[in-house]
Amino acid sequence: MLKMSSINKVYQTELVQTHALRDFSLSVKEGEFVAVTGPSGSGKTTFLNIAGLLENISSGDFQLDGQSIVGLSDSELSRLRNEKIGFIFQGFNLIPDLNLFENVDVPLRYRGFSRKERKQKIEQALEMVGLAARMKHLPSQLSGGQQQRVAIARALAGEPKFLLADEPTGNLDSLMAKQVMELLENINKQGTTIVMVTHDPELARRTQRNIQIVDGQLCDFTMYQGGTVESVNEQEAIA
Amino acid sequence: MFSYYLQLAIKSLKSTPTTTLLMVLAIACGIGISMTALTLNHMTGNNPIPEKSSQLFSVQLQASGKTSEWRTIDNMPVQLTYQDAVNLMRGMPEYKHTAMYKTGFSVRSLDPKFTPFLRSTRLTTRHFFSMFNIRFLHGAPWSETVDKNPTLQVVINNDLNEKLFGGGDNTGKEMLLNDKVFQIVGIIEAWQPKPKFYDVNNGAFQAAEQVFIPFILSGVHEFESWGNNNGWKEEHSNTYQDKLASETLWIQYWAELLTEQAKDEFQQYLAGYVAEQKKLARFERDDARGILRDVQQWLDYNNVVGNDSYVLVAVSFMFLTVCLVNSIGLLLAKFLRSAPSVGVRRALGASKGQVFAQHLVEVGVLGLIGGLLGLVFAYLGLTLLKNNFDGFDFVATMDMTMFFAAPVIAVSATVLAGIYPAWRVCTTLPSIYLKTQ
Repeated sequence: MLKMSSINKVYQTELVQTHALRDFSLSVKEGEFVAVTGPSGSGKTTFLNIAGLLENISSGDFQLDGQSIVGLSDSELSRLRNEKIGFIFQGFNLIPDLNLFENVDVPLRYRGFSRKERKQKIEQALEMVGLAARMKHLPSQLSGGQQQRVAIARALAGEPKFLLADEPTGNLDSLMAKQVMELLENINKQGTTIVMVTHDPELARRTQRNIQIVDGQLCDFTMYQGGTVESVNEQEAIA
Repeated sequence: MFSYYLQLAIKSLKSTPTTTLLMVLAIACGIGISMTALTLNHMTGNNPIPEKSSQLFSVQLQASGKTSEWRTIDNMPVQLTYQDAVNLMRGMPEYKHTAMYKTGFSVRSLDPKFTPFLRSTRLTTRHFFSMFNIRFLHGAPWSETVDKNPTLQVVINNDLNEKLFGGGDNTGKEMLLNDKVFQIVGIIEAWQPKPKFYDVNNGAFQAAEQVFIPFILSGVHEFESWGNNNGWKEEHSNTYQDKLASETLWIQYWAELLTEQAKDEFQQYLAGYVAEQKKLARFERDDARGILRDVQQWLDYNNVVGNDSYVLVAVSFMFLTVCLVNSIGLLLAKFLRSAPSVGVRRALGASKGQVFAQHLVEVGVLGLIGGLLGLVFAYLGLTLLKNNFDGFDFVATMDMTMFFAAPVIAVSATVLAGIYPAWRVCTTLPSIYLKTQ
């Protein structure tokens, strides 16, 4: 699904060169649920932005669903992002002026679906997160947990193969966080690949694989299978 | 996608009502002022008779004294003497050409209770009406015989017809011009060329005459000119008859020449006449000649659209630029404030081009609203001019061209001004806002 080979990401200012990712290689298989952990400033967000095609790489190769993204134009990257990737953010990032229906509609508009198709997909997605009855509400009229569920509905409405979640439960209380995590697990069970950045080791443990980034490099890999922890070497994780 | 962008634009403008109002007002002021100036310039520069403007020619003769100076670029007088006008009308009967001048009368119906009023009147020949494409509602011009034999016949326009008789076909009825009874032979539609090209004396935007009588009457009745009388020669001119025989210039002269050949022939006719008058020692100058100018050349020659009109348009568009620069600042602030939403849209699959287009549509909607309000401002401005200053009656009027031009100019100018703010917001790195929102 996602294959990064020897990726480097360098931020260059007039005086300073910062290596956000260094010789970074990772492979995520279709249907996997991967947690990404690491201390602040380690490069998790950069990884997520690159995986989400929001930032270019400085060098290396990156293939998404078998297609190399190196050298693609902005409109090609946007189309790929729209068709294959769903985003869930810590701060929900719903557009405040748009109601729930319109928020979920955003990625579908850029996809070029007909009005009928869009309506059907939006209703389905909101139904799935249990908010179909509130589709005319504005985000400000919902709780944090509800807003995150709308964000998940928006991410899933276009039926992407790959879901990127950046601290999806970071702004939620433990009960809400549990509900959202259960929702993500269900989504994964239906075949969607998920990569989730999190600081919460409990959540990371619920995924199939945890990768840790430190100083822009992959440094630890752990496989969780049926509640038992199994350490793997780097080559195994990359493969 | 356009309808989607339109929906987003309306939502966005509604979400920031104060900023939107400020931008709309800035654009409306700029458009209002510039459209007022542009309308004045457009109306003064209007071709008053486009279908024939290259076939109608004013006639000028260099008939003045050796040292006479005229305020024209070629030092030619713009009017003719009475005797030249009468002489010219005798020749070239195969072409329509006519002398004319403005006078005026106290006008009333034969009803003794009718209160008289002053109306300017044009003395001309029957050709005047067909040359200038004037439509008759009732009757027809006076006959060729009347052009040769002084007869008290009159053509009036429909406004006057309504004032005198309450409208309808009143041909055959009589009316009074001063103390003389004239018979009405024709009633024309209300006719107002803008500018009044056939006689630009005392301003090219005066009202057209409502009364027309045969030119030949000027030889038998003392109908003084209400226009300019230009004299260059010291001569006894104590009576009206003296004036007719004098070198005083006060007659306008026009010819309809439909082909190049006709124009050449008429030009030769003028040359022959000038040569003849030189022989008679009437025309003293070495450069004595006859000149033909078509309508557009004539309007340019008389500076109907003065340089100040162009300066006014330039200044008003500078003002529009200042208004738009202010709007750019407000737009930039508004768009950058919405950058987090743009970041979300980019993450969800919007390309830079789509974000750019979305914001340009918003700018276009803003320009359209500003343009429509600007139209109202322009209308108020023109009304203010019309009501408070003389000479703006026929100029300070917005025609359909200007009416449709205003929103087009507003949208184009605003979209142009909105390119930079839209570009700034679409090139912002979305990842910055996704984390920090």
